[in-house]
Amino acid sequence: MSGLPIDPHLAWVNLPAMGHGLLINIIMTFLTLGIGLFTSLLVTLARMSKNRVISAVAGLYVVFFRGVPLLILLYLVYYGLGQIEGVRKGPLWLIFGSAFSCAIICLVLNHTAFMVEVVRGALEAVPVGLIEASRALGISPRHVFFRIRLPLAMRYGLKAYQNEVVMFAKGTAVVGTITVVDLTAVANGVFEETYDPFTPILTAAALYWVFVNTVRIGFYRLDQHLNRHLITDEMQRRSVVVPKKAETSRPSPVAIGIAIPAVRERVL
Amino acid sequence: MNRSSDRPIAVQLSGVDKYYGAFQALSRIDLEVRKGEKIVICGPSGSGKSTLIRCINRLEPHDCGRIVVNGIELTSDPRSIEDVRLEVGMVFQQFNLFPHLTIIENCMLAPRLTRGRSKEATEKLARFYLERVHIGDQALKYPSQLSGGQQQRVAIARALCMEPPIMLFDEPTSSLDPEMINEVLQVMEELANDGMTMICVTHEMGFARRVANRCVFMDKGEIVEIAPTEEFFAAPRSDRLRAFIAQILH
Repeated sequence: MSGLPIDPHLAWVNLPAMGHGLLINIIMTFLTLGIGLFTSLLVTLARMSKNRVISAVAGLYVVFFRGVPLLILLYLVYYGLGQIEGVRKGPLWLIFGSAFSCAIICLVLNHTAFMVEVVRGALEAVPVGLIEASRALGISPRHVFFRIRLPLAMRYGLKAYQNEVVMFAKGTAVVGTITVVDLTAVANGVFEETYDPFTPILTAAALYWVFVNTVRIGFYRLDQHLNRHLITDEMQRRSVVVPKKAETSRPSPVAIGIAIPAVRERVL
Repeated sequence: MNRSSDRPIAVQLSGVDKYYGAFQALSRIDLEVRKGEKIVICGPSGSGKSTLIRCINRLEPHDCGRIVVNGIELTSDPRSIEDVRLEVGMVFQQFNLFPHLTIIENCMLAPRLTRGRSKEATEKLARFYLERVHIGDQALKYPSQLSGGQQQRVAIARALCMEPPIMLFDEPTSSLDPEMINEVLQVMEELANDGMTMICVTHEMGFARRVANRCVFMDKGEIVEIAPTEEFFAAPRSDRLRAFIAQILH
């Protein structure tokens, strides 16, 4: 034994298994986030609906699933539903019989409940003047929502979303409790075999750290790209935006398409 | 007397009422604007000027009376609202440019979505109107990179790209620094000289005198006085208008 609390050999030997565990976390995270984008937008729209019943149902959903601990939700869905014979014998067992799909369902329910307030806050932060200007231009309500309101809300909500995603990515560790072999579960397994209290857990922590920070950098890039319109310094913008000729008095044909020659004749 | 009285009616409001809860923002508004006419609406703040022109493209629904725009009556029917909005362009006090789109994208968005034209044709159109408001060289910038006056001219170009026969201006120079007011007024004057039907809420009395055919004075949700511009300033009939003119001309 060296003086280090970590056994490099043990860490190395278990790295492939750990990597596989991390992969499970990554898949869970992105699958849930992907589904969550749709479900949270849907529930948010319901929550903001003028129809009182629809809005109340959505509100109840948020209150309930924000309050229910994810761990208990997982137990209830995975172990609880299996107790009901109708579920066990029916076609739904294809879904509820699998720990992985149970985990995804619970994660989506939980994540969506937290996202509704983020999305709602972001949508409501879009200045009403911009919505009015779009309507005054004759743009249809559907286009106003998808072309103006949603794209701007995305920008407003990105920071809060990033927080939720990072918390959530680390929170996926809880799925180990219903037999999904994720990174934490792998680390626990190694601990139980070797009684080395540090190596597996610290290796797992390092892998989580790398994952979460990769996500963070991704968000940083996305933020820079989406909010390039806020950068007033031209040089700085150019370093952020995809290589695209910066504007001068003469329009760049690369940046704005093919119609330029005809237009330029008139301009010049 | 009125030279334009034989032209077709562009906008007609008759007996229009508008309430915010119990507060009556507009009461019994009657106004007829002929094609090609330039109308300036003025009055103290809270007099209902903005509400009035916002009713014309139904950013505010009116509660009573009739509003007919180029032969289309405004009702709660989404079709009629959509049709009227294609007839009427609007420029706001706060510019309201889409911050995440470049100047030319701001101008192209609505024509692309509503007219179903090709990207090339729309871009040509946008360039044409940006040139017309003297801002063609800023096409690829974002709104935040432009001065207030430039932004407001882009907002005018954006509205013109829909090629509306009627334009509404809701205090277009009120949030501009003094040195930028003229560049916007100049664009509006050029537009007026080209024969556009215009209804402007503004405090720029110099502009009103140069451009308007008739001026409307509003107070407490009512139209107090409508008169041809010269008469409006030289011989105001009501005490309220006399007091107002004395106040704004110092």
